[in-house]
Amino acid sequence: MKILLVGMNHRTAPLALRERLAVDDPVPVLRKLVGGEEIDEAVLLSTCNRIELVVLTRNPDAARLRLRSCFRFDLAGDEAFPAAADLESHLYEYTGPDAMRHVLRVASSLDSMVIGEPQILGQTKDAYRAAVECGACGPILGRLFQLAFATAKRVRTETQVAARPVSVARVAVDLAEQIFEDLSGKKALLVGAGEMTEAALAALREHGLVSVAITNRTPERAAPLAARFGATAHGLSELPHLLAEADVVLTSIAGDGPLLTPALVSGALAGRKSRPLFVIDIGVPRNADPALDQLDDVYLYDLDDLAAIADRNAAQRSRDVAKAEVIIEEQQQRFDGWFVALRAVPTIRHLRERIETLRADEVDRVLAKLPLSEDQRAAVEALTRSLVNKILHAPVSRLRREAEREEGIVYLETARVLFDLDEPAEGGGGTDGADPTDGS
Amino acid sequence: MAVVDLQWAAAIYLIACLVSATGLVLRSRRLARAAVWLLAAGALLHGFSFPLLHAQGEAPPLTSLAAASSFMAWIGTLCFLGLLLRVRVAGLVVLVAPAAFLGVFLAALRLPSVGPATFAGSGSWPHAHVLLASAGLALLGLAGLSSLVFLIEHRRLKAKASVRRPFALPSLEALDRVNATALAVGFSLLTLGVVTGMLWVQAASGRLFVGSPHEAWSLVAWAVYAVLTAVRFGGRQGARQAATGAVLAFGFLFFAVIGVGLLT
Repeated sequence: MKILLVGMNHRTAPLALRERLAVDDPVPVLRKLVGGEEIDEAVLLSTCNRIELVVLTRNPDAARLRLRSCFRFDLAGDEAFPAAADLESHLYEYTGPDAMRHVLRVASSLDSMVIGEPQILGQTKDAYRAAVECGACGPILGRLFQLAFATAKRVRTETQVAARPVSVARVAVDLAEQIFEDLSGKKALLVGAGEMTEAALAALREHGLVSVAITNRTPERAAPLAARFGATAHGLSELPHLLAEADVVLTSIAGDGPLLTPALVSGALAGRKSRPLFVIDIGVPRNADPALDQLDDVYLYDLDDLAAIADRNAAQRSRDVAKAEVIIEEQQQRFDGWFVALRAVPTIRHLRERIETLRADEVDRVLAKLPLSEDQRAAVEALTRSLVNKILHAPVSRLRREAEREEGIVYLETARVLFDLDEPAEGGGGTDGADPTDGS
Repeated sequence: MAVVDLQWAAAIYLIACLVSATGLVLRSRRLARAAVWLLAAGALLHGFSFPLLHAQGEAPPLTSLAAASSFMAWIGTLCFLGLLLRVRVAGLVVLVAPAAFLGVFLAALRLPSVGPATFAGSGSWPHAHVLLASAGLALLGLAGLSSLVFLIEHRRLKAKASVRRPFALPSLEALDRVNATALAVGFSLLTLGVVTGMLWVQAASGRLFVGSPHEAWSLVAWAVYAVLTAVRFGGRQGARQAATGAVLAFGFLFFAVIGVGLLT
């Protein structure tokens, strides 16, 4: 039995390809996969950044081909796109412990485009739920995904990997949330336009900010941007009035000197009572006079301030990621131990069946010759069962323990030879979700 | 029974303190929320002690400094919990819980010594005065606490040293709202407390003002708050100045009402 994972993500495949292969409903694909002989269990994770198939198989080579064909034909629809060679260059594959580790890393958001983003855990849970509901996910992948969810929770609580924004735009949002109670009722003012101010504005809008005004030297040039953000476009002459209304000012406009001077901003603040003003100055040279910071209700952050915070957070995040990787490794080894121990299940089951058959035959033979009452027969049955269980307890426990080690296969082979068990020790299915580590 | 209730309330407040402090260290919002629930449970139990105490003795429970501190802690906690319904300030629990604990702990220690009333002949004025003044003081204390956190957060944001907040400390805007609301309601109650106090003095001595240090300092503290409130709601003050004023004014009020009472 092997766990196999084939997939593509934002690092290996362009968005255009991911879009073509993404599926809204994984159930038909999963049913088709587990309907074949190569694959016993399957889960399909399809998000905007990744499409991954995780399967449990007794025939890894055949399953590998089946998954590739699934990507090429089932996920891409009827179109023979992309060409096999092209598709292959975008796919990655993990088997065994590497596949387990990858699932844990994905659920914990360590493999995400934005490390620590919370959505991936929910998406992984949805993928798991869909697979369980259509019967494609059995006890083994089920256990792997449950462990992945527990691992993600541990990573989130034991590290700060998700707590630190590392881009200038996200730092701006984080600061805005420390200044304002709720961004949804706030007004943003964009002075000029630049790639970074637009990114910061987009991030603020994701966090609820709705009302946006854009001001530029030539309002006509601001119009397309205003249309994109559902904003109003204004000329610079309206800046004092717009400043008085604004809560967040994002500025990035070309010019010789600072556009936002203390005199201008003080005038705008006069009628605002104690409403704070958050100024994000991304202009180079700076658009806001640093003296603005002396005004009590103004929180001015320029590009250097934001970048310095982002850099500090990035350094801290890399330490957090290292801590998270240790957790992942620990959890992966835990699952791997359990998974390897599953090898013992068929051997132990056959051993028990063999001994039970012998016991039952011998008891029947003896009881046929003895004139015993029903109670006495029941006592003999109980006695022999108890005896068999006690004799088997030590070797079965030892087999379970040894099966968790790679070299434990020797013990399983020895047991098969000694007790003349015809079922091969490795591979065989029919674990029925049995937990080889339990004491039963 | 009432004392036992107070001791249990003190114990729950103390657990809320520990949970919120742990949340602060571990930066856990979940622990902050747990501390708020514990605070609510403590307040519920605390609330039962007042009618029980009233039923036990001839004097109402608010006619001693210790019992008044318990009442202040309770009102302050209730106001904080009420504000949580409108403003996201759960992080303030890290200061409100210790304040509630201290208030009720003092009362739990001294409640058995609450004796019969010494306000005979003054009618209901003493009780109205202590009730209103305690509630006012509790709210102005809440304004002071939120302002203190505001000043710390303001300083941190101005320093640009880090974007990391210790767990879920409220935003500056939320803290300013708490300050404004608590100041408006607290000053109104304090005003009523001063008026009922003067009526009590008149009922007892025939004069509105007998010139006791407590009276004099309380009037000065009320005047300080009157100026603070007028400036704050007159729109001539920034949030940081308002917060500084709220912290200083509460320090002065605390001295005028409690400190002078203890010293004289």
